[in-house]
Parts: sequence; C-alpha cells; structure tokens
Amino acid sequence: MIKTTTAPFPTIRLRPWLGITATAAAILASWMGLVWAPTDAVQGDVYRVIYVHVPTAWLAYLAFVIVFLASIGWLWTRRPWFDALAVASAEVGVVFTGLFIVAGSIWAKPTWGVWWTWDPRLVTTAIMFLMYLGYLLLRSLSTDFERRATRAAVLGVIAVVDIPIVHLSVLWMNSVHQLPTVARIGAGPALDAQMGMTLGVSVIAFTLVYFALLVERMELERRRQTRVLEQRS
Amino acid sequence: MSSLDRALLVAARDLFAERAQPDGLAAALTFTGMVILLESLAFGPGRAREADVASGVFWIAVLFAAVLISARSFDRDLEDDAIDAVIAMPGGRDALYAGKVVALGVILLIVAAAAGLFSIFLLDLQIALPAHLLLVALAGIIALPPVIVTTSVIALRVRARFAVVPILSFPMLVPQLVAATQGAAAALTGDGPAALAWAGLLASFTLVYGVLGLTIVPAAIE
Repeated sequence: MIKTTTAPFPTIRLRPWLGITATAAAILASWMGLVWAPTDAVQGDVYRVIYVHVPTAWLAYLAFVIVFLASIGWLWTRRPWFDALAVASAEVGVVFTGLFIVAGSIWAKPTWGVWWTWDPRLVTTAIMFLMYLGYLLLRSLSTDFERRATRAAVLGVIAVVDIPIVHLSVLWMNSVHQLPTVARIGAGPALDAQMGMTLGVSVIAFTLVYFALLVERMELERRRQTRVLEQRS
Repeated sequence: MSSLDRALLVAARDLFAERAQPDGLAAALTFTGMVILLESLAFGPGRAREADVASGVFWIAVLFAAVLISARSFDRDLEDDAIDAVIAMPGGRDALYAGKVVALGVILLIVAAAAGLFSIFLLDLQIALPAHLLLVALAGIIALPPVIVTTSVIALRVRARFAVVPILSFPMLVPQLVAATQGAAAALTGDGPAALAWAGLLASFTLVYGVLGLTIVPAAIE
C-alpha cells in the first residue's frame, strides 16, 4: 500500500539558500576556470573544457546513483518522496549527461580532430544517456501513479549496472580517451595544483547547481503528486 | 510445490502454448532468416562472409527475435488473462519471471540453431573452432532472456509497449552484443583464448542480470 503524504519535503526548506549558493559558486568557478587557472602547456586553452566536462561526468554518475538509491527506497517503503527524488534526479542527470557528451565533443574536435569517435567511453556514455531517456519515456507512458513508480524503480535499479561499465571502459578496452587524471589508483592526481583547485571548485559548484535543480524539480513533483493523490482520495 | 517446480510449470505452459500455436517461433525464424539473406545483399557476398560482420548480423537478428518471441508470449497471456491466474498462485510473480526466462531461452535456442545453420550454409562460413563457437553461442543466448523478460515485464500494459521493450533492453544488452559478436568472431577465426574470455563475460552478464531480475523484477508484475 502506498504511504501517501502531501506534506512538503524537508529539503524544500533549503531551496532559496541552495539557489543563491549554487549561483555564487558557479560564478566563482567560471572566473577560476576562465581567468585564474593557467593555460596548459600542451593543449593551450582548449583544456579548460575539463572544468565543465569533469564535473558534468561526476554529476551524471551521481544523479543515476541517486536514482538507484531512490528506486530502492520506493520499492522498500512505497513513500512518494522517493519516487519524486528518482524522477527529479533522472531528469537532471539526463541534462548533465547531455552536457557531459557535448563538452567532451567540443574538446575532442581540436584535440582528436573529430567531434565523435567510436571510443568505448563515448559509446558507453551515449548508451547510459539513452538508457535514462528510456527511463523517462517509460514514466511518461504509464498513467497510474503507483505502477509508474514501481516500474521506473525496477528499471532504475537495473540500469545502474551500466555506470561502472561506463567508468571502467577506458581501463577494460582499448580507448583513445585519456585515463583518469585525478582519481588514479595507487597514485596522486596528475594535475597542476592551481588547475586541481579550479577543478575542485568547479565540481563543488556544479554539484550545488545539481542539488538546486533537484530540489526545484522535486517541489514540482510534490505538487503533481499532491494533485494525483487528492484526486484519488 | 517448490519455487523451481512453479517456474518450470510456467515455462512448460509457455512452451506448450508455443507448440500449439507457434506464431512467435514462426515470426522469429522468418525474421532471422530474412535478416541473414538481406545481409549478403547489403554488405555484398565478400564482406558478409567476414567473421565479425556475419556474427554481428546474426546476434542483432537474434536480439530482435528475442523481443518478438517475448512480446508474443506476454500477448498470449494478456489475451486470455492467464497472467492473472499465474500471479494469483503463491509465489506466482517469481514463477512467472523465472518461467518466462526459461521458456524464452529454450525457444531462442531453436531460433539461434536454425539461424546459425542458415548463416553457415548461406555464407559458406569456415569454422575454425566449432566447440568454442557452440560455447559462445550458448552463453550469448542464455544472456538474453533475463534482460528481455525484465523489460517486457516493466513495459507490460504500457502504451507503445512494442517500442518501449527494445528501447529499454537494447542499451542494457550492449555488453551482451559486443561479447557475443566478438566471441563468435574469435571462434570463427581460431582465436580460442579470446572466445573463452568473451564466453566468461557473457556468463557473468547472465549471472548479474539473472540475480537482479529474480530479486526485484517480480515486484513490477501486476
């Protein structure tokens, strides 16, 4: 039986602060990425795309892991809050995965000479993108609230298997994509300190933007759920 | 009656229904045969005989055939409301999932055997390592049903179900497609260790999705 609630989500109280903090952090990260960080000796200014590419990659993973956890939460407790979290995270995750692919493509053109190549990391990321588009499609085609949430939750759990495949594809298969620069196994980051700090700030800024968007989308979903549950009762 | 008995009962019921009215099997056989015929036209006889092209086309055809068979199986259950009776029995949801996986696996073995023989005959394929090819084919086929049945269950009674099942299942099946194609090509060209490695990957894939499917998919069956 579904545990209905129309009370606001606890995270909603953070909404105004999250938006302001995320905007400030994004401005700071933009200044650091475009002005403060030094130019790369080999790639020139093109490398600055990493300040968008890496954070969006991290958020693509994070968003879909949150979909997975929220899906388990729904299957376990049947609380609508978890379903709202899952759909919000999936939608924001699809946006960030799209940005991740576009930013990578912008970097690839001057570096590799092509916008797109059939590289394992690129292909597996595109597959992850399609998988979560399928997740959103499935949600849009189901009408009953509980059925939609349950089906989407099952898919949300199963689809998460793709995330390690995407991340480790550069290690498992022959890839033109560079190996991890920051999270290297058994070694420190292969990155200049100023660049590393800029990347860190960018990751934090994008993460705050993600949470700000997530909370806004959850509030929209809460209103929709309230309407649906009121119609049912 | 144990869980295994119930699953086998559902599988037997599905297989008997398919034998009585083999429209899923007939559609799958016709479809795979047609794809293999079209392959030689699309690529030309020389390219079509190349190990990676022949195995890639074969596995894509089998993939679509699996979707066709599964769709027909669930359609049949929905048409006569048999699905409600199965769900109503104790442990029915688990039995339905596991039974459908077994039944789809058996029917796919028939389709893949026919399509494989047709490919070998039509394209005049030389098989360097027949035992390895058989192992990869078997591992590749049993890797398909857990994912196809999962997505069929998720898309059950959803609008545009026929489009939703491939959209959801094909991205998940990319590792299966890559491993089965590369493994079969390796067996055709005589690379035994590579064929065995790909067969191992297929077995792991089946294990992961089989366990995940048995654990959570029954919750989505209505």
